[in-house]
Amino acid sequence: MIRFLAISFLASLLLVSCSLKTTEGLRQVHFNKTVVENPYFSNPEIDYVYKAKIEVYKKNFGGILIIKKTGPESHRVVFTTEFGSKLFDFQFEGDTFTKHFIVKDLDKKFIVNILKDDFKLLVNEKAKVLAVYESENQRIYKAQREDRFNFYFIGEESEILQKIVNTSKTKEIVKINFTTSDGKIADTIAIKHSNIKLTIDLEKFKKE
Amino acid sequence: MHNYLLLLVFIVIGGSIQAQETAMNASEIVAFKEKVIVSAKTTKTIKTDFVQYKHLDFLSDDVKTSGKMVFKAPGLVKWEYTNPYQYSVIFKEDQLLINDGGTKSKVDIGNSKLFKKLNQLIVNSVKGNMFSDADFTVTFIKSPKYNKAVFVPKDKKIAGYIASFELLFNKDDAQVYEVKMIEPSQDFTRIVFSNRTLNSPINDSVFSN
Repeated sequence: MIRFLAISFLASLLLVSCSLKTTEGLRQVHFNKTVVENPYFSNPEIDYVYKAKIEVYKKNFGGILIIKKTGPESHRVVFTTEFGSKLFDFQFEGDTFTKHFIVKDLDKKFIVNILKDDFKLLVNEKAKVLAVYESENQRIYKAQREDRFNFYFIGEESEILQKIVNTSKTKEIVKINFTTSDGKIADTIAIKHSNIKLTIDLEKFKKE
Repeated sequence: MHNYLLLLVFIVIGGSIQAQETAMNASEIVAFKEKVIVSAKTTKTIKTDFVQYKHLDFLSDDVKTSGKMVFKAPGLVKWEYTNPYQYSVIFKEDQLLINDGGTKSKVDIGNSKLFKKLNQLIVNSVKGNMFSDADFTVTFIKSPKYNKAVFVPKDKKIAGYIASFELLFNKDDAQVYEVKMIEPSQDFTRIVFSNRTLNSPINDSVFSN
């Protein structure tokens, strides 16, 4: 009995220390789906244009974020000021990252890496499913990304992608929340970092 | 049928004649500069609508935004975007006052040479009076519809951001009606002005957030 208590106590300690906030209170379920998809930047016919507001350590910046699917596995991501001058121009093609342009002030390794990781997470269309969890109204697909994980939160009934959480083994790193009216185009996107004070809010340009 | 073809030919030829550009000769340049400088000197205030087109080669359509611009001599400028979002920037002394859909911020440009240069460029290009700027090589072009000045930066820092920019002037009143900024990648931003009012009284309070 004592041994059992000791083991369960140890086990619960281990579980707590290793458990990720993202999947807390969720139950793991069997799954058939092998690939989880992000549909929001998948149509090569559409120019995805967003007003961006960035807050980094209480400083505010604005601009325009433009995303275009330029090939079967390729996305162009360009950020400009409101006046139209480019701040950066990136291309993601499979696992290849190309920096076409970036202004000098932003061209620092740690900034480029954050931007690269965030936008790769945002535009990445397909990920291989490792495990599936369920909550009351969502299905959560866990996928591997290099040494990290991405969790895709999809509405149980709506089948709409609502959130992506990027984590290490133990901590949440970046969260992306989506709102959408048709499930194909994201009306608003909120990217929030947990370990640094950085949020990026995006709002889709309204049609004229 | 024949008539339609003829019409088409006229339209095509007409179009190409309209777009035909030639370099100004020396005396034309002198006359043009003078006209612009006189017009800039008598311009105390400007109120105008504008439409901005951001052209990126890989996009299907240019990114279009629009709003109003207000200028008051000697150096107050307010750009206010109203569509598809609310965003304004006021250039005032050594500061940029920004209102991004309600989020207000200030940027000090007092110790940034590049920003000062940029601000000066904006003020001068709105007025059109910037031919004496030693930082640019300027060429002058005429067409039946407009006069054009093309500015190529000499400074390498600026040239890293702007390959050239062009101001298009009305032939009659020598006012700027279009600004085009071309990036080293050849992507460009085009701003077209319309509904311009000159020298109407403008209160200084317009230039505060």
